[in-house]
Amino acid sequence: MVVDKVARHEAGSWRSLAMALLLALWLQSLPWSGIGLLLRPDFLLLLVLYGSLHHPHRVGMGWAFALGLLSDFNDGVVFGQHAMAYVAGAYAMHLLRLRLLQFDPLRQAIQLLPVFLMVQLGVLLIGWLAVTPPLGWGIVLPAISTTVLWYGVASLIQLWHGKGMRRE
Amino acid sequence: MAASGQPMFVRGLGATSRLIIWLLVGLAMVALDSRYHALEGLRASLALVTQPLRHAARAPFEMADEIAGFLTRHRALQRERDALLQERAELRAEINATRDLVREYAELRRLAALDSRPDLHGVTASVLYQGQDWFAQRLTLDRGGRSALRAGLPVVGADGLIGQVSRVYVSSSEVTLVTNRDLLTPVFIERTGQRGLVAGAGRSGLLELRHMTVRTDVREGDILLTSGIDRVYPAGIPVARVTRVSRSTTNPYLRIDCVPLAGIERDRIVRVLLPVVAEEKP
Repeated sequence: MVVDKVARHEAGSWRSLAMALLLALWLQSLPWSGIGLLLRPDFLLLLVLYGSLHHPHRVGMGWAFALGLLSDFNDGVVFGQHAMAYVAGAYAMHLLRLRLLQFDPLRQAIQLLPVFLMVQLGVLLIGWLAVTPPLGWGIVLPAISTTVLWYGVASLIQLWHGKGMRRE
Repeated sequence: MAASGQPMFVRGLGATSRLIIWLLVGLAMVALDSRYHALEGLRASLALVTQPLRHAARAPFEMADEIAGFLTRHRALQRERDALLQERAELRAEINATRDLVREYAELRRLAALDSRPDLHGVTASVLYQGQDWFAQRLTLDRGGRSALRAGLPVVGADGLIGQVSRVYVSSSEVTLVTNRDLLTPVFIERTGQRGLVAGAGRSGLLELRHMTVRTDVREGDILLTSGIDRVYPAGIPVARVTRVSRSTTNPYLRIDCVPLAGIERDRIVRVLLPVVAEEKP
């Protein structure tokens, strides 16, 4: 019985992950423009980091890499740029995981800001080294907006699941 | 405090090794892509896979655009239609005015051609109004005694005889039309030279050729010209065209209906013919 329940739970969370992936891709490919584009949170990164926080056995570095490639494709940049940064982000989550799980969403978000910033800077650095010099510091803005979004999403999911996933 | 999904015992590679491997893979991809453009196939297949998603993402915006565009188009079309309607009304008015001018111009030209005949010299006058009384068959002109008009002068339009001046005031005059029942006009049939008298038929706008015996050669379509024998009208002014010839058993004469050739109810500019002697005076 327990196994069956676990299996069903697993299937459910796979499905919700897939839904989240679709949602993130959809949000990513909306026709953003102007200030919205500048401030657009990195939905795929959020998904990767959230997944590696709460479902580490499913969302690992391979997924981070794959979603990074998707993000590269979506932004039309060189392949590997976001992928490497996402992998680094997933690694950071792996290191911070036990610590982060003890905090409420706001504190999680605050502590994740450096991670998001690091990922953005990583993207910037790789892009810089690989192809072109950056087009200004606007590229780090998504780190901030992704932090804010983390807070929103994590709070929402916590509310949704009652006491939160960390007690799971 | 291990969560259910947390790996208790790490199997396989450690996180750092995996990080390094993935970073190396990433570096390889960056190099492949930026230096050798070897990953265009991957890009193309990703484009193929994400195509529906992109369409889905764009659909609501396109729909909103479409609706907004529809509303603006609707408003713009309404405005355009109003403007066009107004423009059409203005153009109509202009066309009418132009037609009027063209007609008047043609009339004037014909009058001018008439003027080239030496015996048809006269005074040009405008029709002020047509008598209200339908049976009186009169016109009022804007010329009178001051322009040397006097009663009895013939009045012609561009196409033919209109009538005869019957009353003269200082600066206006009355014309009795050929269609007046009491006005007799001596004419001849252009085709045969047969003389006769034309008078108004009493019905509006019609004439009849009177006192023609049943043996007279008259046909439909014959043109009647002034004969000039009464010395009132110059000879050869078109008067009427025969439209119907009928015989009756009780009447020794033919009944001949004619329509006047002149635009009696149309012309706005007419010519009052002056006798040649009167012209020589001033």
